[in-house]
Amino acid sequence: MHISTLARPVAVLAAAVLALGLARGALAAESWGLPEEKEVTFKAKVVDMLCELTGDCPASCGAGKHQLALKTADGKLVLPAKNVVPFAGTVNELIGFCGKEIFVDGLMTTSKGTTLFALQNFRTKESDPWTEASVFLADWAKANNVKPDSEKAEEWFRNDPHVQAIIAKQGKLGVKE
Amino acid sequence: MRISMPILAAVAAAMAFASPADAAPKRVKVTGEIIDTWCQVTGIMYGLGTAHHQCAVWCATGGIPVGIWGDDEKAYVLLKIDADSNTVANPKIVEIQTNRVTVDGDLYERDGVNYLVVTKVLSNEGIVNLTHKEHGIQPFGE
Repeated sequence: MHISTLARPVAVLAAAVLALGLARGALAAESWGLPEEKEVTFKAKVVDMLCELTGDCPASCGAGKHQLALKTADGKLVLPAKNVVPFAGTVNELIGFCGKEIFVDGLMTTSKGTTLFALQNFRTKESDPWTEASVFLADWAKANNVKPDSEKAEEWFRNDPHVQAIIAKQGKLGVKE
Repeated sequence: MRISMPILAAVAAAMAFASPADAAPKRVKVTGEIIDTWCQVTGIMYGLGTAHHQCAVWCATGGIPVGIWGDDEKAYVLLKIDADSNTVANPKIVEIQTNRVTVDGDLYERDGVNYLVVTKVLSNEGIVNLTHKEHGIQPFGE
């Protein structure tokens, strides 16, 4: 789907803001208006995706360097591609639960032949309160010596030193104009 | 060794009910663009080429799975490139966002996702998909 920001600016920006996690909400699956979106809550074991598929199984699910999966009781592997922090994935949320079962809450979306999961909340026991899937932001803030609720952390993607170095080198477009 | 009919039947039944997870990977050659899977798959914004390059760098740095958007219009999530299995915010992968590549690898089709273990990058043409004139800079215009 090719969406032009000029053609449908308000709707597209609103959808992007929601889907990128710029909007925080209540601690239960919240619609982001994704394709074929389903609000889901399920129990699953946190596993190393590369290990599950190939048998290449380093300690601790790759110690944060491998993409993780949520393996359900019936053996399905769910790819948790997104958390609630803008432009961030889910490894920071899940790596601490490698090999353990947790409860997750979020959105399943299917588009272009691919099914992805957006993790919004998680908890270790059904009776526990949900934890918002924003661990990435807390970790980033700590690593960069700022507060998680600071303006710098809110736009971590523009303030990250690795991002800044790459954009300085390549430009926003990746090519010289 | 003689194999009895009941055993053959049991093996056949087991094979019939084997899940895709048990299937061996397919050797494939894929040509396409290195992408941020979330934006391109969900279509929440225009997710290809120069228009989306900065966002792809953000997303790859944030640990969102990186993939290849193949010329066959399928998404392939990368789990390994050559001997490097670090696919979470790996600077080497972040730096090649939006590049057009051709790779050889093992394809695992599992529960609605194509996963690719790249054994060799055959070519890298760099960034050739110039989409910014039509789509601007995604998603904020700057």
